[in-house]
Formats: sequence, structure tokens, C-alpha cells
Amino acid sequence: MDDFNDNPIISTEAAEELQPSAAVAESSAPAAPRQPPKRADLGLFAPAIAIIAWLVPGLGHLLLRRWGRALAFFVAVGGLVMTGYLMRGNVFPPHSQDPFGTLGFIADACSGVFYLLARVVEASGPNVSRAVGDYGTRFIAAAGIVNVLAICDAYEIAARRRR
Amino acid sequence: MLPSPLHVNHFGALLIFAFFVSIAIGFLARGTNRGRLRYALWSLAMFVIVSICIAWLMYPLSR
Repeated sequence: MDDFNDNPIISTEAAEELQPSAAVAESSAPAAPRQPPKRADLGLFAPAIAIIAWLVPGLGHLLLRRWGRALAFFVAVGGLVMTGYLMRGNVFPPHSQDPFGTLGFIADACSGVFYLLARVVEASGPNVSRAVGDYGTRFIAAAGIVNVLAICDAYEIAARRRR
Repeated sequence: MLPSPLHVNHFGALLIFAFFVSIAIGFLARGTNRGRLRYALWSLAMFVIVSICIAWLMYPLSR
């Protein structure tokens, strides 16, 4: 299939217009039009960006030169996690007996490297006997969910499906 | 157990949560800086207003 027709943004008629005719090509030899890269050419780039974006919130966007989004997601995820730790929210361990604990672990682990900071910042452990501690648990889980949105956004940008 | 180092009331926790989530939503939803700021402020306001409305709706249940 033609490279132009691979791009859903460019219609078939527009692609034909963009292609130089043979006569023009022979007479003046214009430079070949810039062809958009195929999705298959991207290979593992987008999945790698997604993994990096998961490990360090905002780093995926940083590598894609989206400075504003990188800073925003780092501040949003980091702010939620650190506030949750300071509120002494519960951080779910990997091995949990009940399904809600497993879901909680998945949500917490989605915040990447911030999950590992729990032992340092929240050294005295959680305190969910107070409402503030319970709020902290939700803050930490919400940070992971926000980072999932950031991962999806970075993946879409890397796969050239979104600007 | 040690007391919680960060003492915030319910409304303060709501504001902190809404602030950080609104930043992320604003950057996800809009492409320009002006659009992001407007959408983040709109999202922050909606977080607060809807939460207060839900709290008042639930108020009779607590009595």
C-alpha cells in the first residue's frame, strides 16, 4: 500500500495530488515529498516510552519533548503521592489476601518510582484510624490512576496517534 | 501510634486533591496553555461545587 494512503489524515485524492507526475519528475527532478513514517517503523518505541512513563511519571513526555506535560504529570502524580504519604495513607503490599488489596496494590504501583518511596517517606507506617489517613490512601491510589492516564497519553504521542 | 504529620480538614483535603487532579486533566484535555489553564480552573471549580452539593445531599442521611 502507498505510504500516503497509510495516513488516515491524508485522503486518496490529496495523496495523488502530492505525488509528482512522471513528466515533472523527469524534467525538473524535484525533491521527493516528505513521507510520514509508517506505524510499523516505530517498532518498540511506543511501548518503551510507556514503560518509561510508568517508571518515572512525566519522563515519557520529557523524552518526547513535551516539556509542559512532563512537568505537569510529574507534579500531579508526585504531589498526590507525597501528600498521601504525609497523611499516612495505607500503601498496599504486593501480596494481599483479598481482591480489594490486590486492586489497591495495582493502583499504588502505577505511580512507578514513587511507590518505592513509601518506605522512606512513610517510615512510621500508615495510620488509617483517622479520616486523614484514609484520605491519604485514596490520594496514593488516585496518583497511580492519574499516571495511567499519563502513560496512555505518552503512548499515543509516541505512536503518532496524538499530537 | 504517631499522629499524622499533615493535618488537614475535609475541605482542605478536597482542595489539595482537586488541585493536583485538575492540573493533569487540564494538560490531557487541551493543547494550548490558555486552554489548559481555563480547563484546569473549570475542573477545580466543578470538583469543589459538586462535592459540596453531594455533601449537602448526604446530610440528611447522617442525622
